[in-house]
Amino acid sequence: MATPIIECIDLHKSFADHEVLKGINLKILTNEVVVIIGPSGSGKSTLLRCMNLLNEPTAGKVLFEGYDTSAKDIDINAVRSRMNMVFQNFNLFMHLTALENITLALQKVKKVPKKEAIVLATEALNRVGLTDKENAFPGQLSGGQQQRVAIARCVAMQPDAILFDEPTSALDPELIGEVLDVIKHLAETTGMTMVVVTHEMGFAREVADRVVVMDDGLIIEEGPPNEIFVNPKNERTRIFLRRVLKEIDDMDPLKPKYEGVTLEPEAPSVTFGEPQMMKDENPPSDQGPSGTLGRWFGFRGGRKKK
Amino acid sequence: MVEMDWSIIPEYFDAFMRGLTLTVEIAVISIILGFIGGILIGMLRISKNPFVSGLSSIYVEAFRGTPLLIQIFLVYLGLPQLGIEVESALVAGLIALSANSAAYQAEIFRGGVQSIPKGQMEAARSLGMTHNQSMANVVIPQALRNALPAYTNEFITMIKDSSLVMTIGVLELTLTGKLISAETAQPFVVLIFVAILYFILTFSTSRVLRYVEKRFAIPGMMGSE
Repeated sequence: MATPIIECIDLHKSFADHEVLKGINLKILTNEVVVIIGPSGSGKSTLLRCMNLLNEPTAGKVLFEGYDTSAKDIDINAVRSRMNMVFQNFNLFMHLTALENITLALQKVKKVPKKEAIVLATEALNRVGLTDKENAFPGQLSGGQQQRVAIARCVAMQPDAILFDEPTSALDPELIGEVLDVIKHLAETTGMTMVVVTHEMGFAREVADRVVVMDDGLIIEEGPPNEIFVNPKNERTRIFLRRVLKEIDDMDPLKPKYEGVTLEPEAPSVTFGEPQMMKDENPPSDQGPSGTLGRWFGFRGGRKKK
Repeated sequence: MVEMDWSIIPEYFDAFMRGLTLTVEIAVISIILGFIGGILIGMLRISKNPFVSGLSSIYVEAFRGTPLLIQIFLVYLGLPQLGIEVESALVAGLIALSANSAAYQAEIFRGGVQSIPKGQMEAARSLGMTHNQSMANVVIPQALRNALPAYTNEFITMIKDSSLVMTIGVLELTLTGKLISAETAQPFVVLIFVAILYFILTFSTSRVLRYVEKRFAIPGMMGSE
């Protein structure tokens, strides 16, 4: 068996008196793609952030290549430079161009000379399909492009592992695909170790070597994707998957919308000639941030820049 | 009503210019010292160490909460009583103005830093940059941009407040004007001219900083073209 690159041992994390992680034991092997799924608030992101010590564990420890990351004589910056993170909100450096976003850490952390850093950064941008966006600032890029730059920023560091913290959760639906494709391509071509927290079940199923299911601060089940998605053993996994997959099913544009609601027996019966009928004439798509209402309030075309 | 005699302006022009030069010097020096001091105190203010942040917080509150005029008198008249000799009235004025401005600029700097989302620091740290590297390369460059309008305010205030050192006998623009008006009995003419000179200083400061703001605006962010 391969050696674990990241190992969490009885990891606990509390915020004030709220215990988010209640004893996590998890080994991530070299070159493995592990996808962590589970309901909101189950501690997935916290677990990821504990791995690179952005959040300090309350108890237990994280080993990186066998070394205790919380040990006094460990240089946490050196560990982080080899275990990068991709964030839900991209967190690109807003005052730097796409290229400079990538070269900054190369120069400051890995002490790569400027010229070489630019070459590495250009290569990394090529890999995520953003060759022509070198000089664009994050504010000039779409969410999907920003996240791809963020991924390139990690890739250029040539880390041993990348942690993805819900990389597509902040994206407009039509932009999710391009980011998932980049991650998938990375997994297939580099064999880089990846830990991905996501709600994209299709992606998990396709890319993961192993799926870890978390609920309420604990790992309740783990195994190969086919096992987890086809034949989950844990009842809570089954409930979670049923709920998530139903949501995905509901999103199918070909499926008639809200038919269940109108057929509800307790729905008010419509009397003749009542103007009340008008209520249902608004198509459901007019609701939500990307519909007409959203357009009136200016939500369309990516989120508003601060 | 005494007739306006505008001819005194060319007559005393050199004296006005000497006063103006000293005012500019006082303002520039105390703005620069206040800027540097403000960053140092502002950094301490956001320190996680409660003792350090407490100390700098006391500094800020003390200078912000008492009249600048009292601070000027305290440095000029009070310090020598404690055995600390201040070289001249000008030096005393500079110390008081810089120390006072540092307190305000510390708050401006702190506001700027705290306006930067936590994710910026986290992203920098997650790539292996140290806290100081992340501050210097990621947080502060953005914080200063965000804080520029507030800095502009403070710089303009400093130009005007530099007139307070006239009370300890520093012959800057305001005191020059006061003396000339006494000598010529033309207070309106003299003071209007002094006011215009101050306005030229403050207005060009605000224009220059507005240009800096535009020049360093981050493309794609609010405030950029």
